[in-house]
Amino acid sequence: MEWLALLMFICVCLVLLAGYPVAFSLAGTALIFAAIGVATGDLHPALLKSAFSRLFGIMQNPTLIAVPLFVFMGVMLEKAKIAEKLLTGMAGLFAGTPGGLAISVVLVGALLAASTGIVGATVVTMGLLSLPVMLKSNYSTPLSTGVICASGTLGQIIPPSIVLVLLGDVIASANRDAGIGGDPVSVGDLFAGAMLPGILLVVLYIIYIAIYARVKPDDAPAVAKGIKQLSELQENTSQSETMESSSAPASTNGFELSSLLLPLILILLVLGSILAGIATPSEAAALGAIGATLLAIYYREFSLERLKQVVRSTTKTSSMVFMILIGASIFSLVFRAFEGDDAIREILSGLPGGVFGAMVVVMLSMFLLGFILDFIEIVFVVVPLTAPALLAMGVDPIWLGIMIAVNLQTSFLTPPFGFALFYLRGVTPPDIATAEIYRGVLPFIFIQMAVLIIMAVWPEIVTWLPSIIYK
Amino acid sequence: MKSLLSKIFYQLSNITVITGQLVSWLTVAMVVLLTLNILASWLFKSSSILVSESITWMHSANFLLAAAYTLNRNEHVRVDIFYAKMSVRAKALVDLLGTLLLLLPVSLFIIWASWSYVSLSWRIGEVSAEAGGMPATYILKGFLIVMPLLLVLEGISQLYRNFCLFTGENNIQDKTGVQ
Amino acid sequence: GQKQECGDSAGASAQQETIKWNMVTTWPPGFQGLGTGAEHLASLIGELSNGRLKVKVFGAGELVPALQVFDEVSSGSVQMGHGAAYYWKGKLPAASFFSSVPFGLNAQEMNGWLLKGGGLELWQELYAPFNLVPMPAGNTDVQMAGWFNKEINSIDDLKGLKMRIPGLGGEVLKRAGGNPELIAGGEIFSALELGRIDAAEFVGPYNDLAFGFYKAAKYYYYPGWQEPGTTLEAIVNKQALESLPQDLQEIVKTACLIANLDMLAEYTEKNNQALNILVEKHGVQVKRLPQEVLDHLESISEKLVEEQGQANELSKRIYASYKDFKQKANAWKVVSQSL
Ligand code: NA
Ligand code: NA
Repeated sequence: MEWLALLMFICVCLVLLAGYPVAFSLAGTALIFAAIGVATGDLHPALLKSAFSRLFGIMQNPTLIAVPLFVFMGVMLEKAKIAEKLLTGMAGLFAGTPGGLAISVVLVGALLAASTGIVGATVVTMGLLSLPVMLKSNYSTPLSTGVICASGTLGQIIPPSIVLVLLGDVIASANRDAGIGGDPVSVGDLFAGAMLPGILLVVLYIIYIAIYARVKPDDAPAVAKGIKQLSELQENTSQSETMESSSAPASTNGFELSSLLLPLILILLVLGSILAGIATPSEAAALGAIGATLLAIYYREFSLERLKQVVRSTTKTSSMVFMILIGASIFSLVFRAFEGDDAIREILSGLPGGVFGAMVVVMLSMFLLGFILDFIEIVFVVVPLTAPALLAMGVDPIWLGIMIAVNLQTSFLTPPFGFALFYLRGVTPPDIATAEIYRGVLPFIFIQMAVLIIMAVWPEIVTWLPSIIYK
Repeated sequence: MKSLLSKIFYQLSNITVITGQLVSWLTVAMVVLLTLNILASWLFKSSSILVSESITWMHSANFLLAAAYTLNRNEHVRVDIFYAKMSVRAKALVDLLGTLLLLLPVSLFIIWASWSYVSLSWRIGEVSAEAGGMPATYILKGFLIVMPLLLVLEGISQLYRNFCLFTGENNIQDKTGVQ
Repeated sequence: GQKQECGDSAGASAQQETIKWNMVTTWPPGFQGLGTGAEHLASLIGELSNGRLKVKVFGAGELVPALQVFDEVSSGSVQMGHGAAYYWKGKLPAASFFSSVPFGLNAQEMNGWLLKGGGLELWQELYAPFNLVPMPAGNTDVQMAGWFNKEINSIDDLKGLKMRIPGLGGEVLKRAGGNPELIAGGEIFSALELGRIDAAEFVGPYNDLAFGFYKAAKYYYYPGWQEPGTTLEAIVNKQALESLPQDLQEIVKTACLIANLDMLAEYTEKNNQALNILVEKHGVQVKRLPQEVLDHLESISEKLVEEQGQANELSKRIYASYKDFKQKANAWKVVSQSL
């Protein structure tokens, strides 16, 4: 019956490829297997009832409430065309620099990432904010979507990150479990450890974009001229919608500074209130949503009709994200009911090759599992099974935690099953081919791998900061 | 006959759409209440457990009761590497089979799994475990029955629509249904 | 699920069936003392039954979230659970008495009340409508008042104090003018470190050391007035228990008794080691709450605890039995702890 669990993994991949919505494909395939299990007597139906408790847990998870709130903020910034102003304003800083708009997307993405920490929300927000602007500025579709996906997943690694909070909890208990008497690990340690690798990722993304823009200037044009075109374009559309908008403060002269500063202040306030400990991510997200609405009012882009669009769009996106979580949760329940967790444990404990071999296999399997399972499932299913063995072999717990976080981030970027790609696909116009999105993220996957190798060769990049902060 | 069926299935979808559009306004309430709660905690150093739990309720009602509406609007994400290139008939077939083999079983499963927990909660009049929290926990738990019920309604409506598309009936063109 | 397979040919009972149970817990996987206590209970059942009853343990979130353990065992989807009764206070206000209430019984007294003073029978009566059979299965001993970044010198220092303190302790703090905050175990550290809260109570030195709170807070206050000796529970689905052969039913009950004793022994041994490390190695300042503050909190607690025992006739009997035992125990405590 353990082999049924493994077969289920393969089948769900095939079912997903048919194209029915991910949420119902994950749960539905698992239920078909569960039915087989019940028929053969390998699975007791009563255990499946605990699906209720898992779903109820998703509803009550306080950290996840940040998702709709951040989406609200993102949709409002997008629909009120503030995101466009921010990005063009940011790109104005890079005026004349080829690839400047993409670089500003990375920077805005890193800022949002630092404030949200939720992959779904960041990717969706970034997709809504920046994709239309990049495409209008004649950026190539693969580069645009690649940059957005990659910057969107930065939320996992740049603190404060929900992945790191959950991972910190599990790694800390695995560390106690391993019984090696080392120093205890906290979520704070993981936050500190993630700082330098997160910055390194951002820097490497930017270097890649700069090189790309030099090699293929047509795919990533400098936007010195583009800003004006965009602002004109904006004028035209808003005039056609409401007559008053011609007298909006965001008129052509003096528009660049305020359009850059106001949204930037908003994002920094959101981020700052979390880092300063004044607000939780959900609270900060609510403040961000209010702030975005106030900005929309200030720019005379607010109306009841627009609010209606915002709440509907927010609701559909939030529902999409949470239904995937629900689907993954039912899948993972059936996987456990087939004792798939035991199968994983057996496979890993029988591995040859010492620390290096074990580490490679664990990283590889988490990478593959990241296609199917949400990070919450991986953190709760795979890490407790594998981490104690690795820690007992002498692996540093903070380093292990960050390696896992970057690894999962890479997994979520990897076609065809990366979650970030699903989320982005959900907010891109249908005329963009999925294959283009896949092509666009490939270079960023290589950057991720490079950072994993760098961290493997020089673990100090992770362990140095925590070691000085708490001394 | 055909047009009568169309009308019936249109009305089924209408229920899910109206529900989804109504609960979408809860996002505004969440933003406002959460902001007020933060201001209260900054200004008066006190925050209300009742308010923060009510936000959890609104959040749950929002994403659960809008799941069928989101399906109606075709906004549940797909792995569409192949799907995007399929003909209208092939897409209709995928959706037909998906609704029958995946969506409807999942919805019925969630109802089955939730029933005893919701009725237990109802029987004992469960309230929040936190002092001053929300009453009537069974309503919150009950969302996990309403959500799949709405999905079943929308699923039945989609079965009809995709069946017509698959068999080549022209009177259903708009896959997203009610506007 | 409750699957039945042919047993291994090991031992005398060659052809006897192996019964498999699942146990869900309210503890993170591998959590020292509490989580490992649940695992110890499961392995005891396996060993005492010579492998005839195998119990597989799931940490919080592995199968279901921590706070769904009660519902899960009640519905019969799993056969057994491990947690603490005060988590079910939203369903059963009187449940708190069977784990710990502020200024209530200490560990030794809890065992006395539950096992010999009629407490267990009341507990069984309380859980019976839910198809659940409860058993004491561990005790953390007295806890600590918590980690503080603000000194507590008077009753006024409690006013506006933002503290992570769940359950009845939190309600007492609220009535004393403080702000109890809802924060999960894994998030306490960052909340303390970032200054979102002034203080947090968790368990005692053994667990607190491992969570590294000494890095995030200055003072470590005692005594743990909010939890003077918390009993952990094993809950078993009634049908699952009754479907076992008589000897296996006895083995489950006996294993719980052993686990109950063993966890208290573990906390007694590890707490003093950990406190020593906290003070000697990490330079933690251990402080006692002023008597004035304790007296104030106790007077609030007495009223609140009485309210917990008013919901219905059974709640009133539970409160009466608990109060009666406590009064007698107090008299004995004066005598017995005079050495
Ligand atoms: Na983050
Ligand atoms: Na405690």
